[in-house]
Amino acid sequence: MLNHILSILIFFPALAAMLGFIIHKDSIRAYGVAIAAIEFSLSLWLWFSFDSSASGMQFMEHLPLVPAFGINYILGVDGISLFIIILASFFTMIGIASLTDTKNEKNMIVTLLFLQMTMAGVFAALDGIVFYIFWELSLVPMLYIIGAWGGPLRIYASVKFFLYTFAGSLVMLVGMLFVAYFYYQATGTWSFAILDWYRLILPESFQLWLFAAFFIGFAIKVPMFPFHTWLPYAHGQAPTIGSVILAAILLKMGTYAFIRFSLPMFPDASVFFMFPIAVLAIIMVIYTAMVAYAQEDVKQVVAYSSVSHMGIIILGTFALNVEGITGSIFLMIAHGVVSGALFLLVGVIYDRRHTKMMNEFGGLAHVMPRYATIFGLMLMASVGMPLTINFVGEFLSLLGFYKQSHILTLLAGTAIIVGAIYMLAAYKKMFFGEVTNEKNKNLPDVSKRELLALIPLSIITIWLGIYPKPILAPINNSVESIVQLMHDKSITNEAKTRIPNLVKGAEIAKTSEQGAH
Amino acid sequence: MEIGLNHYLVLSTLLFAIGLIGVMRRKNLLLLFFATEILLNSVNIAFAAISHYYGDLTGQLFVFFVIAIAASEVAVGLGLLIVWHKRHGNIDLDHMSTMKG
Amino acid sequence: MELYLYLALFSPLVGSLFAGLFGASPRTKIAGVVPSLLLLLSFVSSTVLLIYILSGGEKVHVEMMTWMATGDLYIPFGFVVDQVSVTMMMVVTLVSTVVHFYSIGYMDHDKGFNRFFSYLSAFVFSMMILIMSDNFAGLFIGWEGVGLCSWLLIGFWYHKESATWAANEAFIMNRIADLGMLIGIFLVYWNTGSLQYDHVFATVGALDKEVLTWMGIFLFIGAMGKSAQFPLHTWLADAMEGPTPVSALIHAATMVTAGVYLVVRANPLYDLIPNVGLFIASLGAFVALFAASMALVNRDMKRIIAYSTLSQLGYMFVAAGLGAYWVALFHLMAHAFFKALLFLGAGNVMHAMHNELDPFKMGGLRKVMKGTFIMMTLASVALAGIYPFAGFFSKDLILEVGFVEHHYIIYTVLLFTAGLTAFYSFRLVALIFHGEERYKLFGIHPHEAYKFMLVAMSPLLLLAIIAGSFKMTYFEMVTAVLPATEYHVHSTIAYWIMTIGTQLFVILAIAFAYKKYANNKVKVPDGTSKMENRLCYKILSNQYYIPYIYEEYLVKPYRELSTVFWKQVDMKVVDATVDGIAGIIYAGGEKTRVMQSGNLSTMLKWMVAGTIGLLSFAVVFGLAVRYSGEIKTILSGLGV
Repeated sequence: MLNHILSILIFFPALAAMLGFIIHKDSIRAYGVAIAAIEFSLSLWLWFSFDSSASGMQFMEHLPLVPAFGINYILGVDGISLFIIILASFFTMIGIASLTDTKNEKNMIVTLLFLQMTMAGVFAALDGIVFYIFWELSLVPMLYIIGAWGGPLRIYASVKFFLYTFAGSLVMLVGMLFVAYFYYQATGTWSFAILDWYRLILPESFQLWLFAAFFIGFAIKVPMFPFHTWLPYAHGQAPTIGSVILAAILLKMGTYAFIRFSLPMFPDASVFFMFPIAVLAIIMVIYTAMVAYAQEDVKQVVAYSSVSHMGIIILGTFALNVEGITGSIFLMIAHGVVSGALFLLVGVIYDRRHTKMMNEFGGLAHVMPRYATIFGLMLMASVGMPLTINFVGEFLSLLGFYKQSHILTLLAGTAIIVGAIYMLAAYKKMFFGEVTNEKNKNLPDVSKRELLALIPLSIITIWLGIYPKPILAPINNSVESIVQLMHDKSITNEAKTRIPNLVKGAEIAKTSEQGAH
Repeated sequence: MEIGLNHYLVLSTLLFAIGLIGVMRRKNLLLLFFATEILLNSVNIAFAAISHYYGDLTGQLFVFFVIAIAASEVAVGLGLLIVWHKRHGNIDLDHMSTMKG
Repeated sequence: MELYLYLALFSPLVGSLFAGLFGASPRTKIAGVVPSLLLLLSFVSSTVLLIYILSGGEKVHVEMMTWMATGDLYIPFGFVVDQVSVTMMMVVTLVSTVVHFYSIGYMDHDKGFNRFFSYLSAFVFSMMILIMSDNFAGLFIGWEGVGLCSWLLIGFWYHKESATWAANEAFIMNRIADLGMLIGIFLVYWNTGSLQYDHVFATVGALDKEVLTWMGIFLFIGAMGKSAQFPLHTWLADAMEGPTPVSALIHAATMVTAGVYLVVRANPLYDLIPNVGLFIASLGAFVALFAASMALVNRDMKRIIAYSTLSQLGYMFVAAGLGAYWVALFHLMAHAFFKALLFLGAGNVMHAMHNELDPFKMGGLRKVMKGTFIMMTLASVALAGIYPFAGFFSKDLILEVGFVEHHYIIYTVLLFTAGLTAFYSFRLVALIFHGEERYKLFGIHPHEAYKFMLVAMSPLLLLAIIAGSFKMTYFEMVTAVLPATEYHVHSTIAYWIMTIGTQLFVILAIAFAYKKYANNKVKVPDGTSKMENRLCYKILSNQYYIPYIYEEYLVKPYRELSTVFWKQVDMKVVDATVDGIAGIIYAGGEKTRVMQSGNLSTMLKWMVAGTIGLLSFAVVFGLAVRYSGEIKTILSGLGV
């Protein structure tokens, strides 16, 4: 079973989703929770049997699909994708468990299980085409979630979300086809296997174009400035569960793909585009943080804060050294946990008051002390307080990028200031002061069902902040191999110096060899 | 003067042009069918001529296919045409616009 | 010894969690008593460690577990007890134990009693991490942790708008400085390859001067935020919105001195860059004078003491900047005792006066509050630096340092500030405890605080009086790790002239303060007196208009720019572009749909046109490929 665990992780929820249609309406919730719990325990089993000391792909599966064109069903996980898969199944589980008054609950749960399939597929796929299929498929359930359960502008928001990200990924698909074609020209056989593509060394000019093609697809997904405007609409209109999964997992697809595709395949282009992308990332950080500060709707604050944090992730990725990339992957998980929790928290108050406008609230700390405490904890995690999960990622990302540029890191570091400004301002508006609005006087505090989702997230937030090693170590191993690969592959001198060589003494061996000739 | 391949090809082109103009200009469905037949037959002429020129029978084989398909097309088409005429009392193309986008 | 280290470090955490358990339940005494007892335990453990270090023991160094490890980066949770950190531990645990016991009385009637102790103990835990960590990252944990607890405690009465505003201000302003600190840490890591103090300070000597300067500057920016140095000073006065024990513990004795601790801890680095040191000292001298001047006219008891704290922090930075690290640490210690005492005394007065803060509305309280009166007077004497109180030994030493190091401007500024310090301290004492009983006009019936609160304060009183006598023991201890420079004025006559002169100057300032404010003619100012309309009074009482400038030229523009970014840029430029592109495609579809007329012959025409178009494209392309050589020659002939 362990040999096919990834396939099981992908297709088990899909099968269960189809079966879900025949389950009775009253028991669908229990069914959904049970399926998601099994899925989550499977992913934990995956972690348990994962060899943390190995850096390569594990649990590989290989099944020919279109052998003539080298399209194969290849799966595998390494330290980079493992934890995002676990996080995805975790969020599906607590998402279903904490669903509150949803009409058509059955459809929602079936959609969520289907979404879980696509998420597991994206992060486990090691073939370009399979990756692309899951990547696009993931849009469908989210489109449905926003379009069917969203707010008043839901059609506009969902169509915008779909078309925008879809347009981007088409460009990415063209890029993939080109890479496969270049691979064919270089070796004489077709292959869409990512691991094969890693071995392909492309001239710098090709790399630049291909990098740009992939970049469009990924940047819209992340979303990077200036491609971010679909996100506030999607978050603003999506139901709580949609926002949670969108922020926690779907956005990570973009940043994950940067690490999986762009960096190892186009190391020279990555170095070439490092500074422009870093500038974009800094604009993302500061600009969206300011926009977040101006918001009147607490959900939009969290939505824009997501964009701001994604900027740090991008920056860490393009640090192109082990510290930065490890940090960015860790921050993906951290941001998933924290922003997921924040959206859940916004959902809690929305369920009670059916509004998200901050000026409707005030003094909530008096009426809902437990809610205020958990919100406060997540707020502190979001602003990067040490010993919470976010800090580890932010610290490492910024530390990594500092090696590349001092000034840009200084600018990006303002994230800790501007982040504190909008978060504290929002918290003050909602929780501090006297209770002025009559409707808030008798709000019930968080219920048991809501705590079911929030308590585990709080525990993770602190546990991984204090002891990130179980996650950092596997990530570190995989990242080291990628960085080494990039260093070995790179052609230009610029890239050779920017990307560190991890094999100590290799340089000396090379020079002595040259001396012998 | 010997009649060579070029003559056949010119004839075929002329017929094709006539057919094409007929397809574009005619408003009567029946005449449209005639024009289509001219188009198909112009191609048939070209096929047969080239086949003879190269001494390869494949071309003539294709001509038979085309004739067969043209016949069946006309059979089906005329059937539809009669049904249409019974329903609407005319076979004018300008009145057939239910596919308007 | 490791056991004592862990006890000292973690008992506040246990106390905090214990009190936190009662967070949602109504006020219970046990939630205050248990954390206080645990802090006493922490204090006792620190004392054991102090005795161990004093008796010549090796420093205690433990590595609890790995925190972050990736690439070449390795950060453990490591703790070290050496001569410097044990001094800080003593100060922190002692003051916080006193403050905890005191708070049991002070917060007696507050419904957030349990919560308060949870926060307060969490603060002590963060502070202990800050001072005991053996690396910069651990220091940063504590650094941010105290910031968080400070936010929680300043905004403790969160229903008050001013309190939450002050809390956010403190947090954000500290964050600005923390960015500098973070950059400093990055610089340290990429240049030395580690964040462990041992390793870093062993290798800094080999580094480039420029790198070291930047390192020193950025780390000091971090220190400026925590220690509220100009221009990041405004939060400290506003932080007085918090409960008074918090002000005593956090904003006088411990947290605000973290910046001084950082400079002292990084002494091998700052020794290599005397220019930065001089800058620190100059800024310190400036802040000493600047803050003291604002304290002269202020009409808020707690703010006066806060400005005095600011001023004394300036003194400490002068000493640290001039390389007299042990002097800075000594003044830090002495200051912690008498300033905490002063604040707790102020807390008693506030209780008695029903949270009235204006000393002009008090007067004559010495009759009803004898204990508090004595304590605050003695604390003020210590602050003014009168022999043989603690302030004399530590503050006069800083003056000597300035003199011996030939920085006469700094010396003069500090000497003048010493006079100001004495004046505003006794202005406060005189206004509160002497003169006419003006509070009667406002119908207040003051009463003395609980006995045990006064008892709890007594250790601080004792230390404020006798701390100076530990000077030599202390000197011998810390100079094992800090540079052991003794600062003596060479000529004996000059020394005596200086000392006696300073004392006389200070005593004159005190006498002047008494003369002006301890008589029965003092009235509650109503904005009509001549002095209040003077320009310099207005400037001082408005804190040089700096908060106003920040509000007008930083906060407001930031808020407006944010709105512009959202409403104008994000909605009307970025998003409108995206929608515009979608709109063009949509409009294009609308325009071209007339092609789909449904008319068969029209469609056939389009089909033919399309076929012809594609065919001609293919022909042209094919020709272009065939004659590409010729085309190139022609184009190059045209100069393209």
